[in-house]
Amino acid sequence: MRRGAGTTERGRRPPLLRPVSLATRRRRAGYLFSLPGLVFLALVLAYPLLYNVWTSVHDVHLKELLGGSSPFVGLDNYRTTLDDPDFWHAVRLSLVFTAGSLLFQFTIGFALALLFARPFPFNGLLRSLLLVAWLLPPVVSGTLFRWMLDQDAGAYNALLRAVGPDSLAHDWLIDPGTALAGVVFANVWVGVPFNMLLLLVGLHTIDPELHEAAALDGANAWQRFRWITVPLMRPVSVTVLLLGLVYTFKVFDIIFVMTGGGPVDATSVLSLYVYEIFFKFFRFGEGAAAGLLLLLVPLLAGAWYVRRLRGEGDAA
Amino acid sequence: MRPRRPWLLTAGAALLTAAFLLPVYWMVNTSLTRPDRILAETSRWIPAPPTTENYTTALSDDALLRALLNSVVISCGVVALTLLLGAPLAYALARIRMRGSGTMVFALFIAQLPPSIVLAAPLFILERRAGIDDTYLGLIAADTTLTLPFAVIVLRPVLRSVPRELEEAALVDGCGPVGVLLRVVLPIMAPGLVAVSGLSFLIAWGEFVFGLTLVSEPAVQPVTVLLNAFVGTHGTAWGALMATATVISIPVVCVFAAFQRFIVGGLATGTVKG
Repeated sequence: MRRGAGTTERGRRPPLLRPVSLATRRRRAGYLFSLPGLVFLALVLAYPLLYNVWTSVHDVHLKELLGGSSPFVGLDNYRTTLDDPDFWHAVRLSLVFTAGSLLFQFTIGFALALLFARPFPFNGLLRSLLLVAWLLPPVVSGTLFRWMLDQDAGAYNALLRAVGPDSLAHDWLIDPGTALAGVVFANVWVGVPFNMLLLLVGLHTIDPELHEAAALDGANAWQRFRWITVPLMRPVSVTVLLLGLVYTFKVFDIIFVMTGGGPVDATSVLSLYVYEIFFKFFRFGEGAAAGLLLLLVPLLAGAWYVRRLRGEGDAA
Repeated sequence: MRPRRPWLLTAGAALLTAAFLLPVYWMVNTSLTRPDRILAETSRWIPAPPTTENYTTALSDDALLRALLNSVVISCGVVALTLLLGAPLAYALARIRMRGSGTMVFALFIAQLPPSIVLAAPLFILERRAGIDDTYLGLIAADTTLTLPFAVIVLRPVLRSVPRELEEAALVDGCGPVGVLLRVVLPIMAPGLVAVSGLSFLIAWGEFVFGLTLVSEPAVQPVTVLLNAFVGTHGTAWGALMATATVISIPVVCVFAAFQRFIVGGLATGTVKG
């Protein structure tokens, strides 16, 4: 290393002469740049979630919150929650809501993606218009579907009356037998554009020559779909379904606005159950326990997804 | 393959889009219909003649104007905080070799998983203890937990496309790391920042769970919470309700129309390729 002029004047060395310090400086800058964001997430995301774990093993009520002791109760809150038939009712509803939403938003989204994957005039414009449904605030969508599904003046019932007997019209959200179907319907509407968008990205990665070669070999449209599109779309489909599972399992706003969990708990999914226990009955300990149980599903799904991504990385 | 009759596909796609967007049309349609005709026996497909009566009713309510203002403040705050924290973090994670980078990216992925209601519960207690419940700050901080991890995941691939030589040349020319970030990297990642700003605004504008649980003071309440309260108390005043819903949707449509190209690209990058 050349030790030329200026070595005695600290801080005025030309950086060219110190290639090692360049890397060090970059690394230091890296930590400096990441620090604010990471501290923020630690304070507002990680710490509250850990605090939730603390709450879940203590007896915390509104009284204790305002200044009092919160005795340690071990796993009592979990026991109370797991013994509560309403909790299991909510679990069942969450599963049905999620499965129904995923099934319909994926198949409809896939069908639309296949349509929009073909070139035609105004393709981009129509696609963007569809996305509006996904971008609307969920509270607006919920309000909208409350109105669309209204027994007397709702537009969907008007359409049903137009095509069939009057008895087809139904108070979907007031009848406990159909309320869940009503909120699934609204949630599918919200989810379809997002599914379509991601599946469309996947379809565009398929080499069109594969289809052309298969067509030359005499494969019909269905055969090309079944033996080229479906297998090649599998990785994207898994991603879309997994994201859908994580998003749908935690849906709160649409259901809360449309039915508030009613009628008679017919749509009280897990997220609404946690809300009621925590924010309506102020049973903080039990609410925290139930919340952590609700967190299990997205965490397991996420862990599985990361493992799968790693597996793909190894294979590549 | 090139379809033989592209206009036939256009017609089909247009028809499907129209059917799909019927609820949105109905929202605007109802909002422009005279209140006494909304519940009329025959459903009215066209508001003839259209009236602005519902909008005048809705907007004469000071609470709505206040809530709209609150939502503007909160959403802009979330965008600013997300950019301020997210851009340097994404840059560091994309371009600088650091111990623990992999863990940080993994943590940011996990950070997107917790349901809002699970986070809202402890935040309710902690913000109350810290005395920032019922404040813009408390709500902006909570909303930013939704946008920040997403922003970093969208920005990282954009940053990876910045040629390393550009940064090194600037460093060698005596530009400090902060100078490199401000003068070289930020201009190049501008499209990514636009995407992040647009998406963060949309997420914050539509956010409901934190608004519902962390804020009870009307002076701070976002417009989504007001709309829900409105559904509860004026359940049958559909005209004013749909006018309010339309007013809330207008910024969303405007932001999307303005930033569309960036937003769709950013979304695709962030979710499928990221």
